[in-house]
Amino acid sequence: MPSPKRIGKIEFGLFSPKEIRKMSVRKIIWADTYDEDGFPYPQGLMDLNLGVIDPGLRCKTCDQRAADCPGHFGHIELAKPVIHVGYTRLIRKLLRVTCRSCSRLLLSTDEIEKAVIAEDEGTGTDTLSEKDIKKEQICPHCGEQQYKINFEKPTTFSEVWMEDGKKMEHRLTPADIRARLEKIPDEDLRALGINPLVARPEWTVLTVLPVPPVTMRPSIILENGQRSEDDLTHKLVDIIRINQRFKENQDAGAPQLIIEDLWELLQYHVTTYLDNEVAGCPPARHRSGRPLKTLSQRLKGKDGRFRGSLSGKRVNFSARTVISPDPNISVVEVGVPLAVANEMTVPIRVTTMNLEEARQYVLNGPERPTVNSPCGANYVIRPDNRRIRLSEANLQTVAEMLEPGWVVERQLRDGDIVLFNRQPSLHRMSIMAHRTKLMDGRTFRLNPAVCPPYNADFDGDEMNLHVPQTEEAKAEAQILLAVQENILSPRFGGPIIGGIHDHVSGIFLLTHGLRWFRKEDVMYLVQHHRISSLPPPGKVEDGVPFWSNKQVFSLILPRELNMVFHASSCQNCVECKREGCERDAYVRIQDGQLVSGTIDKKAVGAFDGQILHRTIRQHGMRRTAEFIDDMTRLAIRSIMLDGFSFGIDDEDLSKTEYGQIREMLESAANDVRMRIKIFEEGALEPMPGRTEEETLEMQIMQVMGKARDRTGEIAGRHLGLENSAVVMAVSGARGSMLNLTQMAGCIGQQSVRGERIMRGYDERTLPHFRKGDRGAEAHGFIKNSYKSGLSPTEFFFHAIGGREGLVDTAVRTSQSGYLQRRMINALQDLKVAYDGTVRTTGGRIIQFLYGEDGTDPAKSSYGDPVDVKGIVESVLKGER
Amino acid sequence: MSRAYFSKSHVARHQLDSFNYFLLHNLQKVVNEQRIIETDIESRGKSRQPVWVELGKIEVKKPMVREADGSQGELFPTEARLRNLTYAAPIQLEMTLIQGDDRYEPVIATIGQLPVMVGSVACNLHGLSDGERIEHGEDPLDPGGYFIINGTERVLMTLEDLASNKIMTEFTERYNERIYVAKVFSQYRGYRALIVVERNRKNLLEVSFPSVAGHLRFVDLMRALGLVSDQEIVNAVSTDEEILTFMMQNLEESVECDSVEAGIMYVGRKLAPNQTRDYQRKRAEFVLDNYLLPHLNYLMPPDLKEGDPGYEKAVQSVRLAKAHFLGRMAEACFDLVLGKRRIDDKDHYANKRLKLAGDLMEDLFRISLNRLTRDIKYQLERASMRHRHLSIATAVRADVLTERLLHPLATGNWVGGRTGVSQLLDRVDHMSVLSHLRRVISPLSRSQPHFEARDLHPTQWGRICPSETPEGPNCGLVKNFAQMVEISKGIDEELEMKRILFNMGVEALKGEAK
Repeated sequence: MPSPKRIGKIEFGLFSPKEIRKMSVRKIIWADTYDEDGFPYPQGLMDLNLGVIDPGLRCKTCDQRAADCPGHFGHIELAKPVIHVGYTRLIRKLLRVTCRSCSRLLLSTDEIEKAVIAEDEGTGTDTLSEKDIKKEQICPHCGEQQYKINFEKPTTFSEVWMEDGKKMEHRLTPADIRARLEKIPDEDLRALGINPLVARPEWTVLTVLPVPPVTMRPSIILENGQRSEDDLTHKLVDIIRINQRFKENQDAGAPQLIIEDLWELLQYHVTTYLDNEVAGCPPARHRSGRPLKTLSQRLKGKDGRFRGSLSGKRVNFSARTVISPDPNISVVEVGVPLAVANEMTVPIRVTTMNLEEARQYVLNGPERPTVNSPCGANYVIRPDNRRIRLSEANLQTVAEMLEPGWVVERQLRDGDIVLFNRQPSLHRMSIMAHRTKLMDGRTFRLNPAVCPPYNADFDGDEMNLHVPQTEEAKAEAQILLAVQENILSPRFGGPIIGGIHDHVSGIFLLTHGLRWFRKEDVMYLVQHHRISSLPPPGKVEDGVPFWSNKQVFSLILPRELNMVFHASSCQNCVECKREGCERDAYVRIQDGQLVSGTIDKKAVGAFDGQILHRTIRQHGMRRTAEFIDDMTRLAIRSIMLDGFSFGIDDEDLSKTEYGQIREMLESAANDVRMRIKIFEEGALEPMPGRTEEETLEMQIMQVMGKARDRTGEIAGRHLGLENSAVVMAVSGARGSMLNLTQMAGCIGQQSVRGERIMRGYDERTLPHFRKGDRGAEAHGFIKNSYKSGLSPTEFFFHAIGGREGLVDTAVRTSQSGYLQRRMINALQDLKVAYDGTVRTTGGRIIQFLYGEDGTDPAKSSYGDPVDVKGIVESVLKGER
Repeated sequence: MSRAYFSKSHVARHQLDSFNYFLLHNLQKVVNEQRIIETDIESRGKSRQPVWVELGKIEVKKPMVREADGSQGELFPTEARLRNLTYAAPIQLEMTLIQGDDRYEPVIATIGQLPVMVGSVACNLHGLSDGERIEHGEDPLDPGGYFIINGTERVLMTLEDLASNKIMTEFTERYNERIYVAKVFSQYRGYRALIVVERNRKNLLEVSFPSVAGHLRFVDLMRALGLVSDQEIVNAVSTDEEILTFMMQNLEESVECDSVEAGIMYVGRKLAPNQTRDYQRKRAEFVLDNYLLPHLNYLMPPDLKEGDPGYEKAVQSVRLAKAHFLGRMAEACFDLVLGKRRIDDKDHYANKRLKLAGDLMEDLFRISLNRLTRDIKYQLERASMRHRHLSIATAVRADVLTERLLHPLATGNWVGGRTGVSQLLDRVDHMSVLSHLRRVISPLSRSQPHFEARDLHPTQWGRICPSETPEGPNCGLVKNFAQMVEISKGIDEELEMKRILFNMGVEALKGEAK
């Protein structure tokens, strides 16, 4: 194996004709590729010296077979020089800044010095630009009058000057240009920022064209046995044909006109060979009318060599299928269907220690019938790297041949480490390592608690699974990527994995207030947990033991947990009543016992689960993952104990409430009418910096908003915790009281970009209203609720408001995606060095201390390096 | 009401009506626009006789299929779908060759194949009962309204565009200053030109339109169009006091022009500097007549040729009409400045016009016919050069027109560079078919936000469905017709219309030909 080498520096330059000839193994003169026998023509485009693509043949240059020969360059001698399209801007610049007769820079030596120094102080570049040269002048070296250089896309240059008040134009041929560029002295080039050792400007005008090796333009053989050549080969054929004709005409002394035409044609072919999408040049097309994919097209764009082949590649050992939820597996597990597990393998290196085990894998064969059967193997690899596919026929023989040094590719089984990923991969938690669990069915199964980091749901989402193939990769996955290592998000220093939706509702229903369970119910709730004994019952009535709901929840808490916080349902009263809270929102945990309060989103939810956060800091990631498993199971059990559903009649209110809402809206409408009257009388006091009209609008918006909230309050009075929607809203599981208000009370004001709906017909939104009506209904206030149904105009206004939301999401997703891409491109190479500074790959310091506080957000407490509150609470154990 | 709602003939009504109108009226209109095919045989040929072809009545037959053995048979949509044929009917045009004083017999030539909309008057299914339709293998519930090109069903999308020939006012920001602008997209026979009148910082009016680099002074342009005195110009704009003061400023600025001639020369100098005066005048007149407000050219009597008596007068009256139209634009611009007028809401549905299948086919047919006439001209000239007997039948190559008509329909690349005009009919289910036939697309780019254009505008009530629009980048740009939408077609009887207007007290312009 060759020893590794360090790259000192990379320099980019131009090929000189000399170099092109030197590296060329063959001069190409024939435009034909293969003869009738299908054998390449010597000195043709498929010459055997350029490398081989057909199996069986040997390269004439390196004598290797098709698989090993890297290919070799050839060259075409062009009849006349042609311009390289990629350098037209450079050529234009050079022609404009140099003299047309002596090719010196159009500045005297002093002036060059002055310009270089001036720029040094400013931007820091030590090169001259076109701007430094004055227009319309005389060469300071030879006194020649300079002409203007006109450049016409793609490759035409001409001189323009005035003579007798008339515009004169003279076309410069590539040969003229090359002659002028040749004469530019090296010192002048250095002043222009060009290193003449690696890039003489005349090399931008091609006299010799390198012919790329056959290996980079292989021909393909169609089913009917016909050869189909690569686009590049087609283009090279064109170039050689024209070049040949050009030469013949030149030798025969053809008239200038014909020579010029051919020259232009040659220029066109070389131009399109290099770049087929140049402005001002019709793209060269295939016979079918499809534009050819030439050199530049191979590199450019999303599917080009850089973005398509180098930055992004396809991988083996990956699987993709639909995901579905399974609350009974652990968050660190992923359910893998048998079909996937049978196809994906882990390499096992056979040693004396595991020879028998490996032999058993081989004997089990590639077909595993059920989830519970032992895993088999699909391939074995011999020490000489030959792969043997296992089938029923060769199991026995291969098993006997097996000896240390072989590798067995074992099928996936329970407990293997795999990487699990969902696109778009926007943060590092989008790919995490899970433990496999084989399951029936055809979908990947995951615990709903890990949905938030992946941003997954189950409406048809698909996810990818990758199997690490080396011990190093497995170790890295286990230590860095495992789910439990990623519970804390580096984004905000809080848990990103935790209870969602029904977990939160369930745990809320379980822990809210005080409930007593008999032993059967307790056993039902905790039957899937690893709990060896129950605590002494909280109370005994008539000889029947009862356990409280808080006791049941405390079963899954770590023993040494002490904390005090407010639940989601906390109303932020001015003076907290603590344990006496009528909402049971004061959560106190003492030595792992829930003393008071309700467990909800604030305690165990994803994004702000306080208990999760504390257990991570005090008991570690693994214990927290276990807690999440226990908690989600308990929550699901407890929500199933009573059942939980929501129907249309849950939005019903009583007659009194409907009356109150009607009155409410009536008075709000009156209020609006009154304000409009004040405005129309001109008595409205405008707010500072606003016109009267704007003030009125703001007031109306305010009144309407308040009216809607008021109806919500009225509806809320009727709907208590026996209503599922209220439970979900209060516990923070899903939805808000606003959603409930809109369903039961009143939908409220519809708005477009923060304003009432103002557009439409002349002075009115819809023809259903009078002109100039500023009233609530005429500008999108919806009195009805979703339950009571909308009137036609209300429906239309609702559609207007709804459309804005749709447009917003559509526009935003594309914009934020692009923003993310640009940000990643800018930041991807930064790293935190061992001294704590943030540096670029070149060692330039970006930040002296990472994040300017040196804190790893993933190890912080919501951004603070030390969790003072947590320490105090664990010491005081909830006492004051 | 609900019967109207669910009657099956309603779904693709707009497509069929539009295409039928094209078949019955606009096809002939396009041919009349062309009227004759002139040739250069007079100047180049040996006989020294002028040769031209007069185009007469155009007729579309019923869809036919030509078999490999040359026989022709009636074609029904089902067969076209199954055999990957094009559901098209031959177009026959009456043409008369005129050579010097000889007038040959009119020839009826098949000039090409016109794709026929399923269910239109030219369709073989037209007027058939449900039972008969079933007999021909057709679903009686199929709404029609699409074409069949090489066996694929193609729908022409309804295109929504800003109304042409309508004065629209708006602000533009330039150098942190508000510029008041009145714009008109003037459209005449498929040619579309943007004419802008704007007020610059010094209250001066500037006019710009195609082929003019930069802009022209308003007052001088008015003079060039035939309004000589200051009073005439001011009256053409407004009689409002405030506007009067603005106009005074404008008049003071242009002292060099005091006659029609001087005005035309001013325009000429702007258009073709450093050219001879003669050329300048010619160029100026040409541009004024062709590129300035081309939609008013409909006032030109169609059969008047240069040199005919009364031609000069007709040109004068058209120019006068243009001057008065410019005056109205200037007034709109000043009204905006003075706050008497608000900027026009571009998303207001009154400012939108829909281009239906018939209009699209008209555009396509116009261009294609143009190509055909050029080909006929070339064929005739070639025949003449070779001293062959001139004959219409041999000069008409039907494939030229057919190819031109089919290709845009098959690919969706319409004349004028618009893509996605014809789409493959979505046959996923019946509902998607109905929805696809009633789709409206907006020309706005989907990559830009265009928040306002994507909003549901209250004026779309009853016209565009408030709920049905795709999510994602096309949101709000692709729309669907409302259930009960009715698309108006404009009025044919121009004279009748004029009479009503005059009866209502509209005054004719001074110097306008009645």
